[in-house]
Amino acid sequence: MDVLTEFYEILNDPYAYGQTCRDEKKKKVIGYFCSYTPEEIISAAGAHPMRLFGTRGEIALADQHLQAYSCSLVRGALEEVLNGRLDFLDGTVFPHTCDSIQRLSDVWRLNTNFRFFADIVLPVKLDTDSAKEYMVDVLRKFKRDLKKGLNCRISDEDLNEAIATYNKIRDHLKVIYGLRSKNPGIITGGDVYSIVKVSMIMDRNDLVKKLPELIENLKTRNVSEDRRDRKRVALVGSICDQPDIYSIIEKSGGVVVWDDLCTGSRYFEGIIEIDGDPIVSIAKRYIERQICPAKHVSLTARGDHLVAMANEHDIQGFIFLLLKFCEPHAFDYPYMKEYLEKENIPSMLLEIEDQLPAEGQLLTRFETFMHMF
Amino acid sequence: MCVAGIDIGSITSKAAILSDGKIIGTKVTFTGYNAALAGRKVYEDLLDELTIDETSIKKIVSTGYGRNSVDFVDKAVTEIICHGTGAHYLNPHIRSIIDVGGQDSKAMIVDQDGRVKDFVMNDKCAAGTGRFLEVMARALEVDLDSFGLQSLKAERPSKISSICTVFAESEVISLISKGEKRDNIIAGIHESVAARISALAKRVNVRSPIMMTGGVAKNIGVVKALERKLGMSIEVSEYAQSNGAIGAAVMAMKL
Repeated sequence: MDVLTEFYEILNDPYAYGQTCRDEKKKKVIGYFCSYTPEEIISAAGAHPMRLFGTRGEIALADQHLQAYSCSLVRGALEEVLNGRLDFLDGTVFPHTCDSIQRLSDVWRLNTNFRFFADIVLPVKLDTDSAKEYMVDVLRKFKRDLKKGLNCRISDEDLNEAIATYNKIRDHLKVIYGLRSKNPGIITGGDVYSIVKVSMIMDRNDLVKKLPELIENLKTRNVSEDRRDRKRVALVGSICDQPDIYSIIEKSGGVVVWDDLCTGSRYFEGIIEIDGDPIVSIAKRYIERQICPAKHVSLTARGDHLVAMANEHDIQGFIFLLLKFCEPHAFDYPYMKEYLEKENIPSMLLEIEDQLPAEGQLLTRFETFMHMF
Repeated sequence: MCVAGIDIGSITSKAAILSDGKIIGTKVTFTGYNAALAGRKVYEDLLDELTIDETSIKKIVSTGYGRNSVDFVDKAVTEIICHGTGAHYLNPHIRSIIDVGGQDSKAMIVDQDGRVKDFVMNDKCAAGTGRFLEVMARALEVDLDSFGLQSLKAERPSKISSICTVFAESEVISLISKGEKRDNIIAGIHESVAARISALAKRVNVRSPIMMTGGVAKNIGVVKALERKLGMSIEVSEYAQSNGAIGAAVMAMKL
């Protein structure tokens, strides 16, 4: 079976896939929501980290536990678990990033009965020496929690092996993004989105073997359509679980060539050095990788990153996808817009929820935006 | 050379015809439920009125939410771009445009050539759009066309705290039953609309000279209230409602 077809099959029913990991591979499945989750440690424990997204269904149970202004990731995930659709999980992990995820952690713990549960209380400011020490301590604690909760061992060899696997996966994803940036015609935005999404769901030991196969295939592809005359844009935001947005942007005359998304480049950015204490090395990546607005490194870190991205990948405009009620991203947005304006880089804002707005509304905005540069 | 622009909006459809770069006619009709038919009809009705044959029209551009539903045009361009182009055509000094239609509102910044540099749109919420005024005019049993003039007679605008059109209507009804003066309530309604529009406009940092377009620009009460909230004067052309169609026609000239 063609690799992409296999990936789409998993994405078609990720929960069934999770169940398979449990039944056939005898792995404990640990659910998570955020790219600050130290997956390497979960994998080193012999468990399977599986990212959870919101829901495509109706919200019927979650509203009893959450206020109206929770983002659709939090509300949707709670809905899924209350509905019993996540019963295949052995546990869940909540790194402390935004307020909503932290409070979801409490609500989750009080209303579910998984055998394993962990909060990872990450520092918010990442640029001080004490934050770096603290991050190492937090990860050591998480390792202890996993060992105790899953009744397993986690040796330094296990950690280094996991680190090596994740380094390979992240490098492969970066290569795929690079191939697309150089030649947007070889793969659709929807396919790239799917590859990154499945990378957070599939058994990492299987994934690491499939990605090189996919890359070889991409390199030999005949470009069916020359997309080089399209406007080159990048998406910025938190999670984007909306593959349709890529085709709508393409309909409007643009093409997404890179991104700054939690479900995009922030997931695979940063290689971990294999040298000395693996927990210290892992901590270093989470301290140094491109931040999301729930963390702080400097006043200009995010803006600088976008400008560097624009220069490296010939990006003509940025599309900010603001998940409704996502406060960290919303608070940052005016400063990001101003920063880009000073550099004469066009940007636009699109508010989204779990359901995209009507295609007509999206086309009006995107077509207008593409006309601006 | 004659060109035409057709703006198919959610409530009204507009057509404009330019001859050698000058506006020779505009028309506004209700869209109804069939956008394609409405686009065709407003165009043909205008041709009839001007006694021009369709073959004299060299190029046509469509805009508005229904722009892709008509198949007899040369190009479809978004209403944001067309409003920018239209306002620039009417007054090349304009740098900001606030367009308030039947169901949506938008603000845009244009440069000296009429090119859109930034924009913001609200098409999720009826507050601050023509719909809000329509609902309130009906609740107060006032003719929509004179609604704006009446708001200018108020001594003191009532405060309407609800942001949502539906809740604001309930609030207005309770103000009426409390014996609040009708003109004050009407002024309060206009203040409310202006507040929503002003908040939207400030998100793109509108600056002078500003032009207001769209059907709601015909309401003097909204224009005056908005001028106060923004602290800037606002230009309104006699072609305000047809501005999108005019912009589309100007784009047709460039094809």
